Amino acid sequence: MPVKVLIVDDSKLARIVAGRALAALKPDWERVEAAEAGEALALVEAGGIDAVLLDYNMPGKDGLALAEELRAAHRAMPIAVITANVQDEVIARARAIGASFIAKPLTEEGLRGFVSGAALRLRSGGA
Amino acid sequence: MAVTAPGAAGGSGGGAAGGARARLLRAALAGTGVVAAWDWDIAAGRIVGDPGFAALYRLGEEEAARGVAPSAFFSVIHPQDRARIRLAVGGVLQGAELFSKEYRVVLADGAIRWVHARGRCLRDEEGGAGGELLPGGDRAGRFVGTLVDVTEQKRAEERLRIAQTAGGVGTFEYVDGFGTVSVSEQFCQLLGLQPAQDLPLRTVNGLAPPGAPSLIPTVIPGAGAADGVGAGISQAEFRITRPDTGEMRWLTRRGEYLRDTETSDLRFSGVIYDVTEAKRVEGELRRLNEGLEAVLAERTADRNRLWRLSADVMLVARPDGRITAVNPAWTAVLGWTEAELVGRGLLELVHPDDAGAARRSLDALACHEGGPRADSLGRFDARCRARDGRYRWISWSAALGDGLVNAVGRDVTAEKEAAETLRQTEEQLRQSQKMEAVGQLTGGLAHDFNNLLTGIIGSLDLLKVRVGQGRLEQVDRYVTAAQGAANRAAALTHRLLAFSRRQTLDPRPTRPNALIAEMEDLVRRTVGPAIELETVLSDGLWPTLCDPNQLENALLNLCINARDAMPGGGRLMIETANAWLDEQGSLQRDMQPGQYVAIAVSDTGTGMSPEVVARAFDPFFTTKPIGQGTGLGLSMIYGFANQSGGQIRIHSEEGHGTTMRLYLPRHLGEAEGEADAPQAAASPRAERGETVLVVDDEPTVRMLVAEVLEDLGYTAIEVADGAAGLAVLQSDARVDLLVTDVGLPGGMNGRQVADAGRALRPGLKVLFITGYAESAVVGNGHLEPGMHVLIKPFQMDVLTGKIRDLIRE
Amino acid sequence: MSAPLTALERDALTELVNIGVSRAAASLRKMVGAEVLLSVPSVEVIGHRRAAALIGEREAGELVAVMQEFSGAFHGRAMLLFPQANGLELVRAVLGESMAEADAVGMETEALAETGNVILNSCLATMANMLKRSLTMSLPRVVRGEGTFLLAAEGEEGLVLFLYINFSVRDRSIRGYIAMVMDLTSLEALKELVRDFIERVMGDEGA
Repeated sequence: MPVKVLIVDDSKLARIVAGRALAALKPDWERVEAAEAGEALALVEAGGIDAVLLDYNMPGKDGLALAEELRAAHRAMPIAVITANVQDEVIARARAIGASFIAKPLTEEGLRGFVSGAALRLRSGGA
Repeated sequence: MAVTAPGAAGGSGGGAAGGARARLLRAALAGTGVVAAWDWDIAAGRIVGDPGFAALYRLGEEEAARGVAPSAFFSVIHPQDRARIRLAVGGVLQGAELFSKEYRVVLADGAIRWVHARGRCLRDEEGGAGGELLPGGDRAGRFVGTLVDVTEQKRAEERLRIAQTAGGVGTFEYVDGFGTVSVSEQFCQLLGLQPAQDLPLRTVNGLAPPGAPSLIPTVIPGAGAADGVGAGISQAEFRITRPDTGEMRWLTRRGEYLRDTETSDLRFSGVIYDVTEAKRVEGELRRLNEGLEAVLAERTADRNRLWRLSADVMLVARPDGRITAVNPAWTAVLGWTEAELVGRGLLELVHPDDAGAARRSLDALACHEGGPRADSLGRFDARCRARDGRYRWISWSAALGDGLVNAVGRDVTAEKEAAETLRQTEEQLRQSQKMEAVGQLTGGLAHDFNNLLTGIIGSLDLLKVRVGQGRLEQVDRYVTAAQGAANRAAALTHRLLAFSRRQTLDPRPTRPNALIAEMEDLVRRTVGPAIELETVLSDGLWPTLCDPNQLENALLNLCINARDAMPGGGRLMIETANAWLDEQGSLQRDMQPGQYVAIAVSDTGTGMSPEVVARAFDPFFTTKPIGQGTGLGLSMIYGFANQSGGQIRIHSEEGHGTTMRLYLPRHLGEAEGEADAPQAAASPRAERGETVLVVDDEPTVRMLVAEVLEDLGYTAIEVADGAAGLAVLQSDARVDLLVTDVGLPGGMNGRQVADAGRALRPGLKVLFITGYAESAVVGNGHLEPGMHVLIKPFQMDVLTGKIRDLIRE
Repeated sequence: MSAPLTALERDALTELVNIGVSRAAASLRKMVGAEVLLSVPSVEVIGHRRAAALIGEREAGELVAVMQEFSGAFHGRAMLLFPQANGLELVRAVLGESMAEADAVGMETEALAETGNVILNSCLATMANMLKRSLTMSLPRVVRGEGTFLLAAEGEEGLVLFLYINFSVRDRSIRGYIAMVMDLTSLEALKELVRDFIERVMGDEGA
């Protein structure tokens, strides 16, 4: 069963960029998009999401809050916070949640580490 | 300046890449005035420097090539600038990309120089440092840079800054593509903006009106050329509206395109300055010039127009008379084209008779140029030849200017002809007026003549009868009667002839009373029965010196006028009196003070209005209907009075009557008696030997004259024509007096005989006897001394007396 | 307003922004895959009233910009302006030529927003890190209107830090500049931060 990755970002451009980077690394993985936290939670609730890429700066619930919520529900799910807001605090908070931090703009290289790690964890962890 | 390749000396960066970098650095440094270059390996904490760096930092070249501790970088920096530069370098190390600072360095000899250090942090493109931040730590990479001495530049900048504030010049620098432009405080002030170091391009360019070229152009001409500097210098003017005051100002922007050697950016830098005042003056000057040009053009156009359109001919000629320019009027007036005239002498065209006067005028001009009357005009009239050969009178005024003769001429041919025509017409009219008066007289005179002839014929008839009857005691009476009638007839004829001829003034002492008494009959007949004639002649009336014939004419004219003023009849009075005119009186009458004889002709007629009185003596002025009178009479009387040294005055009241008073100067001396009835005077006998030459083609006359002469005891030589007379004069026969008729056959008239005779015998006395005066006789008024005139018919006594007198003279 | 910051403090702020923008430039570089050049930043510290006048002058007229507000250790606004507003170019730069024209046109505002997001966030976040303080940043948004957005309505006192820094993307006609305004009301706190920063920075290269 292909890995399904949820990309959450209020910017369509950012979603496209993330999608492309992901596709370049793992062409066979599936991608799902959401524009904000509510939508994302619903999708995850629906099931089938294996990994999540979150933007931090979003209207409504921001990415870190969303990450926290997701983590609470899915302890092992690979979560990455992708943002241009590279403040130390943000990075620290992400770490604390157990999420990876990737600085925007997102590139293949930037995503590679997370994707490899996620792939590893998913294979070993199972569904 | 050689630069050791820092890459080769070690440090991170990799062999091949390091070598490439070194080459780049070298190339970049080669074209600049770089003082020092360095390569700071951050991770290794070592700075490698080139020889320039070594010199600046008082290091050995080798030592510099090996590398020094980073802290050494700051050692040469001026203490006051050190902190600032440390901060900046720190920033670079922390991640700032650009390092561009000016600061002072202290050289080995203690001198202080300003330098500009530019540097970049070269980091590995990707890799470890790419995605993740090392928390707060140094970044890997190399900080490389160069140092340029900008001491002079700094001084220049300082001067520039001062100049800017003093001279109102603002500077700017714009990098192609940036959104902002670096500006000076003065720049902002000139544009009416708040002072700032950088201004958005949009803000600056927004001050110029839309459609105008940009203050700071964003399209660089020639950009795209690889290493081309661009278009060089670009200058433009702008009208801006100051955002702070709303004022409109003119600014000039002058900038230069330069390629930055460090970054190879294309820069446009330059100055702006306010030229509003200059523009205003320029505008005013232009308006003034245009105004002046317009005025000048107008004036020139005026003069050109005058030259072209004038109906008068204009020319410019050299002082020698060569024509250099003529206006188009020459063609219209004289038919010449310009080509035919330019180069010709002006005097060629002038009528030979007038050329002398023309030349004299022109020469006089030359004397005056530049002299006290430098603007004098030469004026002269001259006939100028037209192309068709005819002459036209041109009235010239010429002036000398700039060494050239400038002349304007008016065609006055018509005027001259008109004047001549007028003169002739006046003459004719004057004559015709006389003729008209003559016409008026002849009616009455014919009647008189009939009467007189009847008297003569009757007396002679009776005489014949008595002689036949042998009754001789009454013969004397009949003869006397016949003589009297004949004399009166002669007098009448004389007057008539005198009146009709063109006689010049022949002033003689005259007794007006006697003259008037003689004319009384004539006047009475002329004015007719309806008019009552009265004469009041004062005793002791002085004689006057005037032409008695003219006086007669005048009085007769006045009487005729008086009659015409009384169509229903009235009273006509002729008065004479002596008059003294003092200063005041004479002035009133426009005369000299003195003694005068006043002759007044008064009527009880219609009178004249003041307007008519004022114009009464004007030639051709008449109140009579057309066909009656030419209006010349009074003007002639006026002329006669003035010529005689007198005056004529009018006193008139409308509805009451008019008095014409004629003043003639008193003649001191005896007057000749012509007024007295001719008496048979004792004929003085001639002295022995006196000879008189008688020339007359009428045998009767010859016989008569000869008889008289013999009676007087003179010898008479009779000839029938001029040639014979001349022959006698040419001989050495004694001739004391020449008595000749004027009209003679054979081509030579009496005057000519007399003149010829005088040529042979100067002082020859001459008595012309003639039925009418020809102009030839009197030579237009010139009777030479010793020449006398006797009008036929004359009484024998008169002839005798005249001859006697002449011979005795 | 009395003399606020010393020359060094002002330089430090400049350096701070310099570092932030450099980071932002690095981000932009990655986004568009082309070289991004930065200008030397210009920094002015001026009084509020004059700042208002300045803003009115400089950023007059309608603009299209990405604006982000920040608060915390210092607060203010940052605007990213693309005077030529060539959003389409930006889209292509970010998404590459492969994108279909039609889709690209609809993405202009998006592209603007996202680019702004990356740049401003990078910059401000870096600055926050430098000062070792956190900033709260608003969501960047695309604004159209008068430049007076930059100045907060309240606060007649205080200093304003004006900053301009130009950037341009080589080989692509993408040019813009960042205009940042910081209300320096809490001057003392800021001074302290800046002093710390100075020490840190200057101490780095110590032997």
